This record gives sequence, structure tokens and C-alpha cells, in this order.
Amino acid sequence: MRENEAYQASCKERFFSEEENGVPIARAVLVDMEPKVINQTLSKAAQSGQWKYGQHACFCQKQGSGNNWAYGYSVHGPRHEESIMNIIRKEVEKCDSFSGFFIIMSMAGGTGSGLGAFVTQNLEDQYSNSLKMNQIIWPYGTGEVIVQNYNSILTLSHLYRSSDALLLHENDAIHKICAKLMNIKQISFSDINQVLAHQLGSVFQPTYSAESSFHYRRNPLGDLMEHLVPHPEFKMLSVRNIPHMSENSLAYTTFTWAGLLKHLRQMLISNAKMEEGIDRHVWPPLSGLPPLSKMSLNKDLHFNTSIANLVILRGKDVQSADVEGFKDPALYTSWLKPVNAFNVWKTQRAFSKYEKSAVLVSNSQFLVKPLDMIVGKAWNMFASKAYIHQYTKFGIEEEDFLDSFTSLEQVVASYCNL
Amino acid sequence: MGRRRQRVDPAAGARAGALPEAIAALSRSLPSGPSPEIFRRAKFDRPEATSALWQLLFRVLSPLPAGNALASLALEVQARLVKSALCSQGYPRLALAQLPEDGSQGSRELLLALSWLLARGPVPEQMLAQARVPLGDEMTVCQCEALASPGPPAPHMEAEGPVDVRHVQWLMGKLRFRWRQLVSSQQEQCALLSKIHLYTRGCHSDQSLSHLSVTEAEMLRDPEGGQQVSGAGAAQNLDLAYPKCLHSFCTPGMGPRTFWNDLWLVCEQPGLLPGDWAAPLDPGGASACSLLSPFRALLRTLERENQRLEAVLAWRRSELVFWRWMDTVLGTCAPEVPAAASQPTFLPWVPERGGGELDLVVRELQALEEELREAAERRRAAWEAKAGGCGRGPEWSAARRASREAVEKELGALQQCWERDGGPAQPHGPHRLVRREDGAAGDRDLRAAVVIRTLRSQEACLEAVLRRLQGQCRQELARLVGARPGLIWIPPPGR
Repeated sequence: MRENEAYQASCKERFFSEEENGVPIARAVLVDMEPKVINQTLSKAAQSGQWKYGQHACFCQKQGSGNNWAYGYSVHGPRHEESIMNIIRKEVEKCDSFSGFFIIMSMAGGTGSGLGAFVTQNLEDQYSNSLKMNQIIWPYGTGEVIVQNYNSILTLSHLYRSSDALLLHENDAIHKICAKLMNIKQISFSDINQVLAHQLGSVFQPTYSAESSFHYRRNPLGDLMEHLVPHPEFKMLSVRNIPHMSENSLAYTTFTWAGLLKHLRQMLISNAKMEEGIDRHVWPPLSGLPPLSKMSLNKDLHFNTSIANLVILRGKDVQSADVEGFKDPALYTSWLKPVNAFNVWKTQRAFSKYEKSAVLVSNSQFLVKPLDMIVGKAWNMFASKAYIHQYTKFGIEEEDFLDSFTSLEQVVASYCNL
Repeated sequence: MGRRRQRVDPAAGARAGALPEAIAALSRSLPSGPSPEIFRRAKFDRPEATSALWQLLFRVLSPLPAGNALASLALEVQARLVKSALCSQGYPRLALAQLPEDGSQGSRELLLALSWLLARGPVPEQMLAQARVPLGDEMTVCQCEALASPGPPAPHMEAEGPVDVRHVQWLMGKLRFRWRQLVSSQQEQCALLSKIHLYTRGCHSDQSLSHLSVTEAEMLRDPEGGQQVSGAGAAQNLDLAYPKCLHSFCTPGMGPRTFWNDLWLVCEQPGLLPGDWAAPLDPGGASACSLLSPFRALLRTLERENQRLEAVLAWRRSELVFWRWMDTVLGTCAPEVPAAASQPTFLPWVPERGGGELDLVVRELQALEEELREAAERRRAAWEAKAGGCGRGPEWSAARRASREAVEKELGALQQCWERDGGPAQPHGPHRLVRREDGAAGDRDLRAAVVIRTLRSQEACLEAVLRRLQGQCRQELARLVGARPGLIWIPPPGR
């Protein structure tokens, strides 16, 4: 069927480059300072027989970063800069239509966070016209790494300068999804990664472009960024998707667009991470109120004010889905009208095993509280100079910490003043 | 009594026949020009001529070459755009701005506007240049357009209420994203163009060219669809022919790979390429028909262009007749009335009855009214002084004039800087892109390396100017901040 071919062609063009003997190679570069994870990843992909990673698209060393951001940023970075950028350049040259980078990293450790920040900065220097979105794993609140808050604030503040958009996924939230929605008893990293992959897939799988519904969008990253993060102060994005359940439950559930969208909207305004346990007692404030009382009302009822939202709908009868609920001006900040702040992408083709699915990419106050908490904890540690010598040893001075605190406080304040 | 003999004035006879011809030539020389009948009806201000004239004016005034997207705009939108374009060009007649936008009346005003445009510049020739079919891949290298004067003044916009600076920052950010996407698209185009030139080496009959251009390759790949693309005049300066054929609406999902497959199949067959088209082909194959049709299509397009050219020449020969006729049209219009003075204020009607009390009340009311008027005047004057007459008043226009002159001076300085540092001045007009082996370039050919060098030096000049202006801004900000005690200025972390 023509539609099938078009979809496949779009997927192929976007995610894979061509290969001689028919096996597509992913357009990806893997970087790690330890070999274990990369080897696992490579073999798992090759096992499927459907695609694989390029042999020369990996860079790894034997020695890690010891969960030290400074080591990743100031030692590994400059040392391996040339090799890593060379690999990246080769991949970029393979692209006919190159628009930007999607960088997946964590912020609690040393390599993902420090080296990731370093590489992103290099990309900004060498490919200044390209778009950059960093997908960042927000560590567990009770994580194992003592200095994870230091690593986090250093990562976030540096990325805020060199990246265009930060797509943040909280480990705690995903853990809950696995436990409550998927009913998994022993949650492994593999389960967490599956949920992540599902969320990312539901955003970045091909969608029809707005002009004609026979044409798959060729620059999803650019379109998404233009809708959500044009303002340099507001770059934090989060993803919420619905439905998300185990195969068993799926067999017994039917979905309507009205139901899905109502849930999704409530998730947005009550700052819920997933479908269950949504706070039903949060409503948007009355639009006639002056801004000051609006803010206090929000703070009391945990209302989540949005700057901009993008809803992506995939599945049967998608044209009939009514998204008017997301165009309520009460959901948004005063300086952006819903007509500019809200966008919806609809595609007939279903995603994964869900007959109908919806995902919301949101630039809103979702992450203000977690960010504020991390900054607070990091500040407390910093005030007592705990572990700082680990960082100054490798060139990250107290000044750099102070700069980071300042930038992030500014971000928190900007988001709070919506 | 016999029949009265009418004196035949040969000049009058010539005039009588010449006018329809002149108008017909004009209409043929303009893109989708309306019939001469429309012109005649417009002279008498008939409503049925109005929408055709709005559409013609829109075609003439719109800066982009016509495409499907533009043609499908509603009449109201087209009319509004025409009004604003004419206003920004300084069109003097107020009656046009007041016409309704639904095409119900005003055809005579529109006819006057059209003739105003025709009198100002060579409109048919400009439209012809826009719709030209370039056979090769072209680009311009001179930067004259970039240094031209800053363009028409922006229309006067009044903000409703205070504007949140965050909204402005949001819009700026969107513009920046669009800009980056534009740069990426141009890079993509260059890469693909290079591939086409490389892969079709040796395919062209013209030895000096040796490879196909995008238009030629597209003609081979998709004979029927191809001509619609370039014939619409969309192909201009490295423009849209190629992406259009790549992301073709007719064949969803066709990507670069399918294009190459198609093209390779075509190139593999012997005798299928431009150099051989004049020679008789094997009539048995369907390939004969599929080969000739792209060239038939091209021929048709070139013939259409020729017809337009001839129409333009005919128009130039006979335009005097048209202008004399336009004088009569102008004569039938009522003289323009100057804009009405501000509305008189309506005072409440007080009956003229006698009675001392009423008189007192009347006098008090009048005094109160006087007082209010004076107070309002004072406040307005104070506000204007404070707001610096934003957007209005002699101060504002003086400030704008000063800033325009400053900008023009900067541009002039920049031009000099370029001429000094760069190489020889680049020739004007579009150049055809041809890929050649090293050392094979002729004397009159412009080498890419030279152009790149010149552009780089121009870029360096511009960057120097940018850095200087940024430094000035920073100093100004520091000065403003310093003037306010108690304000802490935290500049963003620079690198």
C-alpha cells in the first residue's frame, strides 16, 4: 500500500542511513567511557536482524568517569574531542537533509553529564546552525550517587547555554509507570528504557505535516522546537503519554478520543506524571482574576501553568478527536494566546499496539519543583563545601558552581512568574 | 437634403481601432491579464469588473512569483494586501483605501491604481523576468540587493495596551528557528545540486556544460509534472524546482533514493539524452514518446514566453493610446475630497427657555465643559511629551528619518569596506552553475573559489560591524544600569 511505503520511507530517511547488504544502519553515535553498555547495546540491536548500529559509530574507553562531572567535562572531553567530533562529522556527512542533533544523556553520573555537556558545547560551536535537543534522565530522588545534585546542576546550567531544548524524563516517574500501569514487579533498567523508548517513539515517529495530509513531516525536530522553545529562558520540556498499560490490560480496554484527551488535559493541569492518581480537584483559575491572585491560587492548588503545548494524536478516527479543551486560555500564561501556544499533530496510523494514543510535549511548570529541590540540595552541600575538592581538582572552580546556581535560580524564577 | 456626410477623421479612425488593440496587448503582456472588456467596464465603474482587477493588482504587487498557495487566497485577503502594498508605495488616492474588500464596487479606482503602477515602472517586463524559465541552475553572486535601501517603511502599528517583552522574545526566537531551517535547507539544496551535477556528467550534448541541470534532470525523470514546476516561474535562483520534485505531492513517500533510481534507469538507456533528441529515434519503443514529451513541454513553455514578449513589445508600441484613454477615465472621477476634519463634539441640547436657574445651569455646564477640555488638552500634551510622541508627531518622524539616514550611512560604509577588501566587483544578474574539472574554466567564467573568497571577506566585515554594535549596546546598558542605584545587573554567562 502506498501509505505503508510512504511511512517506511519516512522512517528510514529519518532514523537510518543506507547499507550495502540491505540492513539499515542507525544514524547514531554512541559514546561512553566504559565498554560494557555499548557492547550490550550493539549486540542487542544486531540480534533483531532488522537494523544495527554502525561499527565505526562508537567511541569508548576502558576507564570511566567516577561519577565526577568535572572529570567528564575537563579531562575526557578535551582528550577525546577530536575523535568524537570526527565520528559525528562522518555521520552528518551521510545526511542529505541535516537539521540537528538529539542527544541522550543522564545528568547524575560523570560521563553522560560531564562529557555530554562538553560534546553539546562543541556541537554548538561547530554546527551553530543546527538544532540541538538534549534528552536528559533526571535521577531518582533517592539515587545512589552522593554528588548527583552537583552533577545535575552543572549539567543543566551548561546545557541551558548551549542547547535549544531540554527534554527531561524523571526516573521516579517512569518507575511509577512501570509499577502501577504496567504491573511489573521487579523493575529493571530494561523496563525503564522500554517506557522511555515508547514515549520518545510516540513523539518522533513520522507525523503528517500540516499542509497536506499525504505528506510526512520532514523536519519534526525543527517544527517541535519552533512551537515549544523559541524563548531562550524557557527550554524545559516534559512528555506525558496516554494510554500506557501492559498487554494483558490492553486486551480488555477500549478507548475513545474524548476520554483520552480529558485524562491528558487533567494530567497537564494537575502536574500528574501518569494516568493514575490524577488529582481531580485541580481546576484552571478563573480568567478574570488579576495575575497576582492567579499565581497564589496556582501555588495553592498545584495548578500547572503552560507556556506552550504540543499534542500528537495517532490512531483510528483521529480527525474526529476534539482538542478544544487544550485551547482554554486559562491553561496558559498571559503573554501567549492559545492560538500561538497550542499545536496538534494528527496521524491516522496507530503507534505500537495502541489503537489510539496521545502524547503531550509540554513547556510548562512541570519541572519547577523538582528543579528547585535539586538546586536547594546542591546548595546545602555547597554551603558546607562537601566534595568540592573533587571538582576543583579537575578545573571546575567554585565560581563555576556559583554561575550554575545563578542561572538555575533565574530559570526557576522565570517559570514561577508565569 | 441628402444624407449628411460625416467627415471621416483618419486619426480618429486609427484611434478607435487602436485602443482595443492596445488594451489587448497590455492584457496579454500581464500574467492572467483580464480581457479588454473588463477594462472598458471598469471605466464606467461597473461592479462585475472589480474582482478581476483586485486579482490582477495582487499578482502585480505580490513580491513572490505566483504559486498555487497565493492564488488560493480569498479575495478579501488579496484586496487587503493590495491596499497595504499600494499604501506603502505611496499611492495618493484615498478612495482606494476606503473601498470594500468583497469586490462589490470600485473597479474604476482599481483601474486608476493599475495605471499608476504602470506609469511608475516597467511592470510587464518585470513580471516577465519573474516568470522566466531558467534552463540551468542559477544563482546571483552580487550583493546589490542586500545593500539596497532598507525598504518601504513598516505600516503604522499601534499596540493595544502594554506589550509583554516575553512575547516579543518568543517571536524573535521563532524567527531565529526559521532562519536556521532556511540555512539548513539551502545547505541541503547545495549538496543535492552537487550530486546531480556529479552523477549526470557526460550526459549533456553541449560539451561546455557536460552535465544536466536540475530542470533538465527533472524533465527526464518526470516529463509531465516537471514542466508545471518550472513553467510556473517558481524556479529562480537555486529555488524550488528540485525540492518540489523531491518532495513531490504527486508521489508520497518518494525520497532521494527513488529519484536516483529513476534517474539512473533513464541515464542507462542509450540515446535517451538531450544531445540526441533531434535525431530520429526508434519509433517502435514507448521510449520515443516519453523522450520527446519533456522537450515538447519545454517547447510549449518557451513559445508561451515568446508570446508574452511579443505582447510586451506590442504594448510598448501602442501605449500612448492607452494613456490618452486613461485621461478620460480620470476625467470621469469626482475630484478627491480632503479628509474630513475631526468630528464636532455633540453638546447636550439645552432648551432655550427662559428662567434664571436654567440659565445658570447652562452657564455652569458650559464652564465645566471648557474646563474639561482644557484639562484633557494639558494631559494629552504632557503624555505626548513623556512618551516622546511614540509613533506620532513631528519628533517621532524626525527620529525615524535620523535613524534611516544612520542606517544608510552604515550601509554605504559597508559597501566601501567590501569594495576595499574583497576582490573585483561581482557582475550583476544570475549566473549558471556548471561543474567542471580543475583548470577547465574559461576566461569569462567566474570561479567558485573567487566568489567564496569575496563572500568570506564580506562576512568578516559584517561580523566586525556586528561586534562593534554589540559593544555599543553593552556600554549603553551598563550606563543605564549605572544610573539606577540599587539595581544589580547580572549579565548572562558569556563564552
